[in-house]
Amino acid sequence: MAERLLTTARAIAEAIAQEMERDERVFIMGEDIGAYGGIFGATQGLLEKFGPERVMDTPISEMGFIGAAVGAATEGMRPIAELMFVDFFGVAMDQIFNHMAKIHYMSGGNVNVPMVLMTAIGGGYSDAAQHSQCLYSLFAHTPGIKVVVPSTPYDAKGLMIQAIRDDDPVMYFFHKGIMGLGWMAPNPRATGPVPEEPYTIPFGQADVKREGSDLTILTLSLMVHRSLDAAEQLAEEGISAEVIDLRTLVPLDRATIIESVKKTHRVLIVDEDYKSFGMSGELIAIIAEEALDYLDAPPKRLAVPDVPIPYSRPLEQAVIPSVEGIVQAARELMAE
Amino acid sequence: MIMIPAAGGTMQPAVGLIANPASGKDIRRLIAHGSVFDNNEKANIIRRVLQALDAFGVKQVLAMPDLYGLVLRALEDTQVGLRVEFVNISVTNTAADSRLAAAVMAQAGVRCIVTVGGDGTNRVVAQGCGDVPLVPISTGTNNVFPSLVESTLAGMAAAAVACDVEPVWDRAVRQARRLEIVRGNTLVETALVDVVVYDERFVATRAIWDADKMRALFLTAPYRGTIGASAIAAYLPQAEEVARDAAGLYVELGPGGTHVMAPIAPGLIVPVSVRVVHPLELEQTIPVTYAPSILALDGEREVPVPPGTSVGVRLSSHGPYVVDVQAALQAAVKAGFFIRKP
Amino acid sequence: MALSRETLLGLYEMMVKIRTFEERVAEIYYEGKQPVFNIAAGPVPGEMHLYSGQEAVAAGVCAHLRPDDPVTSTHRPHGHLIAKGVDLKRMMAEIFGKETGLCHGKGGHMHLFDPELHFGCGGIVGGGIPHAVGAALAIKKRGEDRVAVSFFGEGAANIGAFHESLNLAALWKLPAVFIVEDNLYAISVPKTASTAVRSNAERGAAYGIPAVQVDGQDVVAVYEAAGEAVERARRGEGPTLIEAVCYRFRGHFEGDPEHYLPEGTKEQWKQRDPIALLAKQLKDQGWLTDEDAQAIEERMTALIAEAEAFARESAYPPPEAALTDVFVQAESPREEQSHG
Repeated sequence: MAERLLTTARAIAEAIAQEMERDERVFIMGEDIGAYGGIFGATQGLLEKFGPERVMDTPISEMGFIGAAVGAATEGMRPIAELMFVDFFGVAMDQIFNHMAKIHYMSGGNVNVPMVLMTAIGGGYSDAAQHSQCLYSLFAHTPGIKVVVPSTPYDAKGLMIQAIRDDDPVMYFFHKGIMGLGWMAPNPRATGPVPEEPYTIPFGQADVKREGSDLTILTLSLMVHRSLDAAEQLAEEGISAEVIDLRTLVPLDRATIIESVKKTHRVLIVDEDYKSFGMSGELIAIIAEEALDYLDAPPKRLAVPDVPIPYSRPLEQAVIPSVEGIVQAARELMAE
Repeated sequence: MIMIPAAGGTMQPAVGLIANPASGKDIRRLIAHGSVFDNNEKANIIRRVLQALDAFGVKQVLAMPDLYGLVLRALEDTQVGLRVEFVNISVTNTAADSRLAAAVMAQAGVRCIVTVGGDGTNRVVAQGCGDVPLVPISTGTNNVFPSLVESTLAGMAAAAVACDVEPVWDRAVRQARRLEIVRGNTLVETALVDVVVYDERFVATRAIWDADKMRALFLTAPYRGTIGASAIAAYLPQAEEVARDAAGLYVELGPGGTHVMAPIAPGLIVPVSVRVVHPLELEQTIPVTYAPSILALDGEREVPVPPGTSVGVRLSSHGPYVVDVQAALQAAVKAGFFIRKP
Repeated sequence: MALSRETLLGLYEMMVKIRTFEERVAEIYYEGKQPVFNIAAGPVPGEMHLYSGQEAVAAGVCAHLRPDDPVTSTHRPHGHLIAKGVDLKRMMAEIFGKETGLCHGKGGHMHLFDPELHFGCGGIVGGGIPHAVGAALAIKKRGEDRVAVSFFGEGAANIGAFHESLNLAALWKLPAVFIVEDNLYAISVPKTASTAVRSNAERGAAYGIPAVQVDGQDVVAVYEAAGEAVERARRGEGPTLIEAVCYRFRGHFEGDPEHYLPEGTKEQWKQRDPIALLAKQLKDQGWLTDEDAQAIEERMTALIAEAEAFARESAYPPPEAALTDVFVQAESPREEQSHG
């Protein structure tokens, strides 16, 4: 039987629908998630299936409804809130950082906040500085938030179901470029096989998306797709790149990272988030702590060079890692 | 404190202004459907009053200060030539402020006092104002005493009174009655509209809304078309008859009487059982022996009657002087008060 | 709403309990901080915001609540939690930072959580208001007759969370009661310098929420208004906003110099001490004697002494406990895994 293919957006919506069917405590709220189906399609069909009581369009009121999700979660519901663009986190930062993330700890483990805060990330389509950021590192930096960043339809569904079932607050970041939206640049990897039945993917398990022996590329989200494209080109040049999709930053699968570095002795980090004080630096620190002696070359990283995301196409393309950039960085790393 | 030259000199007409920042916010918004009078609207009302006073020759306004600065706010956005000063009282943000301010204004020689509030506000002002007439503008919950009047017009009437326009005092100023609460021979409180004996012990949220707890009702006049406790008599045919020859009314309430559907608070229309309606003569004192209870004055619980005690309720003709705004305007028209040479 | 003797004596006792607790905590707080004040010293370190003077609000509101009614509170939470019926021992132990505390020493006086009482609070002004909205949303979704109550100060009524919460609660017609404790000051800034409306009760109208202002020094008034609001919420008629005007008898926090207060105003407010006010009303009704009052005070003092002893005798959490409770599930439950 042919595998069923879904876009990432459909896979996420299906995961949510299946959990809502399974568990009546699950509900979802956010801006334009009802009749519109989510600006990036992650809630398509949910309103029709579950009605406005469980699929709630909210006012533009992120502090209010993300805070309400926290309150509902502490009362035993399992809310999903959608923050339309991660860039909008600022207006709700207190609820995310000081409440959602900390209540479990401050209560000495007595109060749980089982909620999912899902949000769209990423640039590449000229939406400029306030609608194109990734920012997962910012949230991974704060204790108490699990950070999930899928790259494929299959992972998106399994990780979403896992996120909803998890008893902790989970931030779930989907890149606009992996959703399979008709109005974004075509991305064949945004559609893929997804089993119909519900399944989970445990957090803290990175996925080796392509095995290789010469260097390790550590990445996530849309950059997995670009790294895989780059790896194909590199293979033609005789360079065997291993592409590891981290999938979750918190918890982080250190074992898979270290194991791969010990095998390839070279590491390239590809990150669409800002370069300094973020994911790429953290990964290099971990490798330095645990596998420094295995490295044949200094680690390399590609990330947004500490500038806001610019609007104009050539400017934006200059700061977001590209397939060509990854290939070039890999060549340089191999030359060291 | 402001000094105003004594009467008989070249005195500038001065008007008092007492705006209650607390009116229109009590529990009747919750248990009934009382309208909300926010203070920005009250400031607006004050602006209209000031414009009218200014336009018709009033040179000085003596106002009550309050913590929020209602009058100050009104002044911020108003261009008026008249001088506004505040009476020098220490603000407690209680009803005592209004009472004291009225007394100070009366002593200072204002010609009338414009009040912005409801029945409760005017009750307290009346206790301090002596024989200075009031121009009441309603922003309360039950507004029986103050008239629902556009505040610009109230200001124009106040100006006419303050400027001693000839027929205005005769035609438009009348002395109201009041109900006096007495313990022995001591006058302890007064009310302008009604007194209710309420089967409760505590002031609490002040308002009264449980008709089953109303034991008796005293009225300064046989009101028609009113809201609040006075409505119990206002919509009762036999009250109309008794009232024909009476100064006021004393109504016994309780099980076994005629049920009248009365709006005892805005939007709260309930059956009230009326047993007997008595005429109430001037200077007649009715003892209240129902104790423990609490007396609600003009709609607000005020005077507890602890167990084993009693009080008297007396109808008196010594209420405040009140300006009938429409009558004052008519009289002022006749006097040509509003005419200016081009 | 029966204002019975039993009810009012209960309110009186609760207010005395809160006051006694707070005044005792103040004494303990200064242990080790004299003659030189060092905020980190003594058995109770850190900031300390006490509730003395505002007892009528917590007592009057919480008297209508059941243990399962969610309450969100503030950085000044003791009164609310005591009125909700907390185990004083575990509360005091938390304030001492002990292992036996409500939060095993991880929260402290500003971050008290008691899941059995559905109680939470926090140090961010206005932060708890949306949580009450969410709790009320959960209640409504389940069709329960519980009610969520949020206490916060008049300072919090100027933060966006307040306005967003009121809008959501009204929009979704939630069983929520918002209590603004207007104690006139946000730390040192008076309400007149911070708030464009005189009363936050006026702000209810902007959201179509019935709003009332009550005398927050008069527990009977608070009790009566809160009773109507809570019953309204339980009946499914939507949210209510109550502004209770009250006063901080001990300033914003312990050590507050209070030089910003106009001279004499605090003394003026103390004339209307909510406990003394109720005592007088009860005595006028013949419901309380001086002996009764003294007995209540002694009973409360003993109760709090017991809590204090428990807190002092309890052990501190081991340092390594600092690393736990970040997550419920530090590892993922692999047994649920079916793919991947």
